Amino acid sequence: MIAIRRYLRLMGAFGRYCLVNELAFRGNFIAKILVEVLWLAILLLFYDTIFSRTTVVADWSKAEYLVFVGCYYALEGIIETFFLENCSEFSELIRTGELDFLLLKPIDEQFLITCRRVDWSTAPKIPTGGLIILWGLSQLNKEWDTTTVLAFALMSVCAIAMAYSFLLVLTSAGVWMVRNQSLMELWWLVTSLMRYPKEIYDGTWAWLIGRFFTYVLPLLLVINMPAQVLAKALDWKLIGLTLAVTLILLFGSRKFFLLALKSYRSASS
Amino acid sequence: MPIMSPSDAGALVLRDGPVVPSPLPATTITLSQIVRKYFRIFRSSLIERMVYRGDFLLGTLLRFLPMITTILLWQAVYKGSGKEELAGFTFQQMIAYLLLVHISRMFSSMPGLAVGIARDIRDGSLKKYLVQPLHMLGYLTAYRMAHKVAYISMSCVPYAILFFLCRQFFGGFPDPAVFLGYVISLLLAFFVGFYFEACIGMIGFWFLEVTSFLYVINTLNFFISGQMFPIDLLPGVWPTLLKLLPFQYLAYFPALVFLGKIQGMALIQGLLAELAWALILVVLANVLYRLGLRRYSAFGG
Amino acid sequence: MGMPIIEAEGLSKNYRVFQKNPGLWGALRGLVRREYKEVKAVDQVSFSIEPGEMVAFLGPNGAGKTTTLKMLAGLIYPSTGKAQVLGYIPWNRPDAFRRQFSLVMGQKNQLWWDLPASDSFQLHREIYSLDLAAFTKTLGELTELFGVKELTRQPVRELSLGERMKMELIASLLHQPRLLLLDEPTIGLDVVAQVTIQKCLREYNQQRGVTMLLTSHYMRDVEALCPRVLVITHGKLIYDGPLAGITEQFNRIKSLRLHFADEVAEQDLARYGQVDSVAGTVAELKVERARVAETLSALIDRFTIVDMSVQDPPLDHVIAQVFEEGHANHEPK
Repeated sequence: MIAIRRYLRLMGAFGRYCLVNELAFRGNFIAKILVEVLWLAILLLFYDTIFSRTTVVADWSKAEYLVFVGCYYALEGIIETFFLENCSEFSELIRTGELDFLLLKPIDEQFLITCRRVDWSTAPKIPTGGLIILWGLSQLNKEWDTTTVLAFALMSVCAIAMAYSFLLVLTSAGVWMVRNQSLMELWWLVTSLMRYPKEIYDGTWAWLIGRFFTYVLPLLLVINMPAQVLAKALDWKLIGLTLAVTLILLFGSRKFFLLALKSYRSASS
Repeated sequence: MPIMSPSDAGALVLRDGPVVPSPLPATTITLSQIVRKYFRIFRSSLIERMVYRGDFLLGTLLRFLPMITTILLWQAVYKGSGKEELAGFTFQQMIAYLLLVHISRMFSSMPGLAVGIARDIRDGSLKKYLVQPLHMLGYLTAYRMAHKVAYISMSCVPYAILFFLCRQFFGGFPDPAVFLGYVISLLLAFFVGFYFEACIGMIGFWFLEVTSFLYVINTLNFFISGQMFPIDLLPGVWPTLLKLLPFQYLAYFPALVFLGKIQGMALIQGLLAELAWALILVVLANVLYRLGLRRYSAFGG
Repeated sequence: MGMPIIEAEGLSKNYRVFQKNPGLWGALRGLVRREYKEVKAVDQVSFSIEPGEMVAFLGPNGAGKTTTLKMLAGLIYPSTGKAQVLGYIPWNRPDAFRRQFSLVMGQKNQLWWDLPASDSFQLHREIYSLDLAAFTKTLGELTELFGVKELTRQPVRELSLGERMKMELIASLLHQPRLLLLDEPTIGLDVVAQVTIQKCLREYNQQRGVTMLLTSHYMRDVEALCPRVLVITHGKLIYDGPLAGITEQFNRIKSLRLHFADEVAEQDLARYGQVDSVAGTVAELKVERARVAETLSALIDRFTIVDMSVQDPPLDHVIAQVFEEGHANHEPK
């Protein structure tokens, strides 16, 4: 209990200092937000253009797809705000040797390395994603019950945890891979797979790839599950699977991370 | 929603290589020296790419996987629409278009150019161009061209493999006249892309912060140049409006030429328009440069 | 006396260094198969340190000092050997261990760059869960000691190198560690800053009994701070004892750098001292300190000298001279 409060307090401190820092460079901050707004506009325009030509994409209707887009946008916001900047800095930390300072602190290394900085310029994506979800839901005539909401909350937490675990694995690999560029490109690759509903694989030549990324490397479950729970029906089997997979990924990614640190500490001079 | 690939991120992610090198010493530069220098650049960047072997393999893989999701997405769109053609594009043509846009971007993307120019202005390294018998834009053009040659030759094999795997989407090779038009449109796309970014870089003479502006422009550009989907897919008057702008030549136009959608007179008119835009941008960049230099000297370096 | 605060036994660290083959063909081969060689960075180093001591690791660059220090800090796993620091095995890095010591590295920053040092200190307090009253008192004492009270509100990037180092040291002492590890703490600093920091560290050690271990390749650091010296070269510990035992050796030799008007040959200079190098009109030679004056006047008599300087010879030369080769000094004839 005390430990959790301590980490939360630390998180708050990190957030505060980052905000102060960010606001000091106001022009840049505003420009970054403007770019995000522009990207959102483009995203929605693309979505709109497609759905002006068709009413359904891979079993997702226009309104349902909007919910999917909202989930994706919000998740991207969470990852970019809390974790992405820290992870992309990891290779740099290794290169300059500053990682050593982090290892000396009496704080869990994973926490320090992944949560050190908060990127406030991408934080607005989170509520925006929420608004998009609500907008999509408003166009669907759905019955509301607590089970759906709880399931959605659970699946959202799982989505964040899964995306975080994937990011952590990629980041840890930075101990062995020399160039940092590769990490960001790999992450872009991961997100480019996550951003479409898994149903686009069904019934096509790529169905095996779809199965692979659902059951073996469950990238496709990340956005699909919360969006599905909210906009479509509750599939308890898949929900259970997602939960199990999330726990395995969290555990496994941490192990991999600690292994990477161990390797760093054997090889560094 | 296909988001831009790292190579399109312009100033955000530098993939093409170094920005601006330190120029040659102040002697007259012969052609053979230039050729030799660029051959050395080519050879050393080849080695550099191979040394980071993980990176090399990764880069190859990176081009392929997202295409799968793009193909599947559009397949789902076409299936859902129940139509054979959307805005005059069949499914095959749509995929072929999205692949061809990569080729157009190979020629027209200029990562780091505007940022480099602005930085040179800001930190005073602009002086080296004033002191030596070098015209900045000329030098940068030559350097960029050489780097593009290296980059394109390096990317040949991965792209050739990709196109071979996707050959079912292509209706066949265009006939020689059209292909010639295609090559011309790509070469002109280099100039349109280069001089457009150069103009943006020139803004550094008047404003301190160019990067933010560049982010915004690049983001818009990604959409308006047709990299996400053919401009024709947009509703109402938008396609006509956007085709009046030079941005279509950075991705959309060359792809359409290859697909054989612009033929005969229309093709020649299109190429002439592209040439006109290239010339306008060349002139604009040079004018901005001269005006900027005057301001620069007035305020001291 | 009691338990030693640090005990190291047979610490060793080996590395594999990958060989890069030159040229295009080599790079292609490198894609398929890699060659490597083994390097012994630290070779069977053993020592023990009592609480309250101030000890220096002295040695040339690349000797293995920093690697040894990092092993004691738990940052690196040794290849073989044992060590106990503060009663813990360092590379297991238990929480309790990490709370009781600090590592400061010269020219490496752990403070937040854009924020004032005081913000970094506050963050430090959160990380180490320090009681507010105790923290405020400690901070006040430290800023007083280092003389930087007015500077804590300035962004760290605006401070000079010396001031930044002082802030780093303050940050490292806020949680009242029992052991302070310093890696080249005064490197790159001007003489005034060096002296101030040396003074502060000495005072702190005397007041609090904090054990300090520092690595350096400057004799001056060591002379100012540490009564005991461990000399490490090529990964091996070759001397462990009082500083006085070797200062004489180290200070006994001086390096003369001479710029002549005409070209000289090695044979011409051999009688004046040990010739290190001759290149055209510039020569370097080693002379016993006591004989520097007479050697110089003899040279001035014999040659036309355009420029000259008298310096401490590089540490490796001295160590090699004093310990490994055991050369008797050149007596000028």
